Amino acid sequence: MHDDKVLHAPPADLDLFDTELPRLEDALTRRIDADPENVERGLAQLVLTVVELLRQLMERQALRRIDGGTLTDEEVERLGAAFLALDRRMTELREQFGLEAEDLNLDLGPLGRLL
Amino acid sequence: MIELYAITDHPGPPLPPVADTTLATAGAGSLAAVWAPVADAPAAVTIDGLRRHEAIVEALMADRNLLPVRYGTRVPDDGAAARLLIERRDELARALERVRGTVEVAVRVAAAPDASADPARALAAVHHPLAERARAATCRVRAGGDLLRGAYLVERGDVEAFAAGVAELQDDLADLRLLCTGPWPPYSFTD
Repeated sequence: MHDDKVLHAPPADLDLFDTELPRLEDALTRRIDADPENVERGLAQLVLTVVELLRQLMERQALRRIDGGTLTDEEVERLGAAFLALDRRMTELREQFGLEAEDLNLDLGPLGRLL
Repeated sequence: MIELYAITDHPGPPLPPVADTTLATAGAGSLAAVWAPVADAPAAVTIDGLRRHEAIVEALMADRNLLPVRYGTRVPDDGAAARLLIERRDELARALERVRGTVEVAVRVAAAPDASADPARALAAVHHPLAERARAATCRVRAGGDLLRGAYLVERGDVEAFAAGVAELQDDLADLRLLCTGPWPPYSFTD
């Protein structure tokens, strides 16, 4: 903030307001990155991450049921084929948007990685 | 390519000198666009570029009424700028009339340290009284880290009195802190 633009400032608490510039820089940087292709890719990344998470959860659940012996051989066979197809489709979608497998993994900070 | 800085009256007073470039106008009817040539390469958006844009608009603001053009607005040439003025003539002329003779004064409102205050309090105690003193007013609540950010369209000659009014408000408000800046080009009153 240019001092010559300050018409009235609170006596001692100017630092209450002193957050503007980094925010502005941040906003501008984000703005130039936001070309349509990147926005699409970012959205695809988010959606595919959620789908990938669900896929892995379903797969684990299925494996538990297979291990528990509650499924017939035919059901196990069908499940395996379904998961294989889903896995291939995910790879295709990833490639279409130029995403690596690691791109679908989110860093959750103290909780670790999503996948 | 040329970059646009402001829409002003045509004809207007001589253009001010600015660092590193020469300003020119593209006139159409009663309106003119102030522009400067730029390289054809895509604009890099930088803080320095933004400050430079702001400095040019403020230099223009010193002796003319204007509508500030959004930073980074580029068109192929002055002919394209003139066409833009013609296409949006009525709308631009109305907007310029609305800000004629005024500047924008900004007021940011934060809660004082250890005080609890919400945007409703900032609206009632700061924005509404200030809006009554201005030709036009607008605000956003919970903007950035602030409770409220107000923008007020004030007659050029009334800026000091307006700022004094802000200082008086502050004296009566222990739970809020006010930061008043300006005069700015009428950024918040240019659609």
